Amino acid sequence: MAERRSRAWVEGLRWVALAVAVALLVIFLAAQRQSIDVSYGQSPPASDTVAEGSAGELSDATVPSVDEMTAMVAADDVVRLPGSVARWDESRVREAIGSTDVRILVAPPGLDEAERDRVRDVENATIRVLGTEVSGGIYQASADSLAGWRAQFAVGDVTDLLVTLIAGIQNKPSPGDLDTLRRRDATSAEITPMVADLRRTGLHIAAGATLSRVPASAATAFPGGKALYVALPPAPFGRPVPRYGEALARVFPDTPIVVMYGSWIEYDGPAAADFADVAAASFYGQVGDRLSEYAYPQQNVLGAYLSRVTDVRYAGLFDRPLPYRPLDPLRVALPALPWLFAGCVLVFLALSVRSLRRPSGAPSVGPPARLAGLTTLAVEMSALTHSASEPALTRGITKLMAARAALDEDLPDRHVGALLDDATSELDEAARLLPFTGYRPADYLRGRLT
Amino acid sequence: MSWLIWLIGVVLLFVAGFAAVLLPRRRANELDRRTAWSAARAAIDTAGVSRDAAPARVAEAEQLLARAESIAAEHGGRAAAESAADCARRADRLWRSADHG
Repeated sequence: MAERRSRAWVEGLRWVALAVAVALLVIFLAAQRQSIDVSYGQSPPASDTVAEGSAGELSDATVPSVDEMTAMVAADDVVRLPGSVARWDESRVREAIGSTDVRILVAPPGLDEAERDRVRDVENATIRVLGTEVSGGIYQASADSLAGWRAQFAVGDVTDLLVTLIAGIQNKPSPGDLDTLRRRDATSAEITPMVADLRRTGLHIAAGATLSRVPASAATAFPGGKALYVALPPAPFGRPVPRYGEALARVFPDTPIVVMYGSWIEYDGPAAADFADVAAASFYGQVGDRLSEYAYPQQNVLGAYLSRVTDVRYAGLFDRPLPYRPLDPLRVALPALPWLFAGCVLVFLALSVRSLRRPSGAPSVGPPARLAGLTTLAVEMSALTHSASEPALTRGITKLMAARAALDEDLPDRHVGALLDDATSELDEAARLLPFTGYRPADYLRGRLT
Repeated sequence: MSWLIWLIGVVLLFVAGFAAVLLPRRRANELDRRTAWSAARAAIDTAGVSRDAAPARVAEAEQLLARAESIAAEHGGRAAAESAADCARRADRLWRSADHG
């Protein structure tokens, strides 16, 4: 009974293993198409790019005619047209020039196409500075480090660019850039009005700044709306630039703070060490050339910068909020599925092999005992038989021999039983013909097989 | 690696399925055949005894038994065994009725 129950249990386990294996296979195949759609390219502000002409990058400044400018350059080796913003360290530039004749024409930023062409047509100017873009001959010098961009955009300092370009024109090795921009801590008197504005509106616009409101791209750059913005005009040349962001970060801990000095943007606040340099380098590396040539209002510069911050955020470099999807149990379990499947297959195979083995059940007691009893009866009857009963007895013995052979061959009990039934009826017929009672199989066996 | 597991697993499942169906069926067929031949041989032997005990020859019964023995000599499948057993039983019945009658 217990054996039968355990066998039924094993059989059930076998089919359960098969069902689980098939289910795992189906899950695995169905899950294959789910793992396609992972993209870091879904960052929203793709349309907010810097567009030619339409972004207010052209200033009201204009330049004289080519002839007038040529005459001015011929008269003076440094000509500063009205509205120009570029400054440089005169002693370093003069030292780089040495005794050669280098004439510098400085034009304001934000000129339109025709005005720029006029400036470029001034043949006797060795070096042209358009805004803070420095070019001369076949060369153009561009800043390529954060310090260089900071000097160029926060102050308008083009000393390094001029020195590099002059070295290029003179076929000399370029001297290394010098980070000559000095910084100082902001005083509390400078901070106080900013803090008051920031507490009230989250935005401080100093006199001379060209920002009017926080750009729309701030919502995705700093989700939560907690970020603070300070817009300042370009810092004066030759004086240390205060570090407002650092001072404000002490007043507003755990708050993103964006400070603009002209076109230069500094970030302070959470994750500044991980993120500020990445965002600034990628932003100024891409748009630095345009910023130096044109006069973009701070509104547009900040908007483009915040779009870049959003891109960086969605790229997963900065505190990784969005592209990471919530925990999906299927995704977590997927690597384990093959092994679960293999385990189920093995269980099924093991149990199948077990069930296929030849059932080695104990031989049943019934047929051999009957065969033995009937054989004994036949032997006893053969001593008493006469010609009338002989055929039936012989047929019975034949059937008994067949039953024995069947038993030896492990044929089914039902077959052996049928042969024994035949033998019994033959012996019964023979016994009825005998003159003695007690030899009928039913009577004879009753005493022995119970 | 993982794909190999799936592939091997699926192949093994198919093999196991075929084996689980075909092996018992073949074994049962074999047992049936042997059982049928056992019954057929028993019937032929019995018919032989009845023939020897019969008082007179019965031509039809002898034909039947001869046919049963020739079928048995060829060792066919289960159907052959059953037809041999059938012939032998009919022959046996004829001889017995001749004996009693």
